Parts: sequence; structure tokens; C-alpha cells
Amino acid sequence: MDKLKDALRHDAARIEVQVSAELDNRIRASLENTRPASQPRREQRKRRFPFWLASGLTGVAASALVILLVRINQPEQTVVAANPEQQPAGEPLEIPQLRMESAVFTAPLERELDDLESDLKKAKQAVSEELRLSF
Amino acid sequence: MSDTEDLIEAAKAGSVSAFTELVHEYREGLLRFLVTRSGSFADAEDALQDALINAYRYLDSYDSRWRFSTWLYRIALRNLASQGPAAGAAERELVDEEADPLLHCIAHSERQNLWLTARRVLSDDVFTAMWLRYVEDASINDISRVLDRSGSWTKVNLLRARKALDAELNKAANGSKAYG
Repeated sequence: MDKLKDALRHDAARIEVQVSAELDNRIRASLENTRPASQPRREQRKRRFPFWLASGLTGVAASALVILLVRINQPEQTVVAANPEQQPAGEPLEIPQLRMESAVFTAPLERELDDLESDLKKAKQAVSEELRLSF
Repeated sequence: MSDTEDLIEAAKAGSVSAFTELVHEYREGLLRFLVTRSGSFADAEDALQDALINAYRYLDSYDSRWRFSTWLYRIALRNLASQGPAAGAAERELVDEEADPLLHCIAHSERQNLWLTARRVLSDDVFTAMWLRYVEDASINDISRVLDRSGSWTKVNLLRARKALDAELNKAANGSKAYG
């Protein structure tokens, strides 16, 4: 060990300092009120996992429900597509019989228009009569 | 895993006791250094407290390739630097010599303490480099990292500082001989 190095070490040791009990308490109190920067990140990571899992499960459940509903509502179409010969005999739709005469365009346009209007009027009357009778 | 690593892991998990135990052996050395760089003993104590709190807060960023004491010094120096030009040499110039904490803490001796001389003739960074090298036994690499300087800067300035202090030491020795 050279002379200068020895002297520097010796002189550093002669700087007399002591961490007082008061400073020690102060530091400890400050540390108690300090949170390591790593801790919130870890908590965040812990918190994120259930959220991710919950949202994932909700998504899967919702998809499954939609698929289920679609299948329940369309079983006959699937059968029809598979066996086109076995078509179900559904009730035939009743076509309303309107008592109307077809317009024949043989006269000038103004007269034709008058005829159409009167036909329309008759048809309205007929419908309203039928409605009155049916109720 | 060493005791230090165990304590670091426990402190990272939020154990104040583990952190207190971890830094216990470094506190006085760091306070001694801060006394040489502060305008008053109270400032040095505050600087120590700030350094330890920051070390605890950012312990997660500690790289185990560093010596723990070197890392603490880096934090303390950054705190001093963040206080602006009022801290360090500029502040000492404004402080009454009687309030100088270093003068108060130095035990009586026949010759002047070399660190007082070092503080007078060296810049803050070179003073710190000398302290880390000869008091804390830090490597050139660690000193460079603490001071954000290149290895060659550290080597060259340590050599120059040694020469300057050697000259002061010889001057003091010759002076005492002349008076003796």
C-alpha cells in the first residue's frame, strides 16, 4: 500500500460521523411511508389477470349462446336442406280476393284516369263492406 | 443466494426491516462522504435520508453486477446534482468556515486532513473518484459508471489527482520540517 493511499484511508477514517438515533428513526419512518416502485406494477399484473380471464370467458359464453340460439331457431331449414323431398306441408296462405276489374286502356288518357279512379273507389267500398261484415 | 441478495429480494417485496439491515453497513460511509460535499451536517443527513429512500423506492432497478455501495453512491450523487449548483462546491464557498461540517467532524491531528486538501484542489467529480477509489475500493469501471464518465477519463484524473495530492503532502511535510 503506497503512502498516499494509506494517508487517504487514514484521513477518511478520521472524519468522525455517526448516524444518530434521531436520524435513524426519521429514515425508518420515511421508509415505512415509501412504497417500492416495483410493488404497484406487480399488483397491476395480478389484477390484470382475472380481468383478462373474466372478459375471455364472457366472450366465449356469449359466442356459445349465440350459436345455440341460432341452431334452436333454424332446425327445420337444416332438415329441408338435407332432404328436399320431405318438405313439410305448411298451411297455404290465403290470397285475398279483391273484386276488381282490370283496367283496359282503350280510351283517351283522361277518361282512363276517371275510370281508374272510379274503379278504385268501388274497390275501396267493397273492401270496407267486407271489413264491416267480418267484424 | 447470498445474504445480501436475500435481503434485496425481501426489500423489493416491501420489507423495510430487510432494507434497513441491508443498508446498515453502508450508512456511515455514505454520510462521511456526504459531509465532505454538503454545506452543513443537517444537509448531509438530509442527503443520506433522500438517498436511502430513493434506493428503497427504486431497488427494483438495482443491477447485481454493481456493488451495492457503488449503487448507493450513484443515487446520492444524483440527488446532490438534482439540487442544482447550490449543492457542492458552490455552496461551500458561501458557507461560513465555522459551519463547515467536514471541519467539525475531523479529529484533531498534527497535519491537515488530506480530504480537506483534496476538496480544495480537486473538482467535485475528481474528488468523488478519489473517494470511491481509495475509501470504497471501487474499480475504475464502477467509478466511471457512477460519474457517467469514460474509463480513460477516470484513469487520467485519478493519476492527476494523486500527483496533486502528493505534491500537497510533500509541501506540508517540507513546511513542517522548515518550521521544526
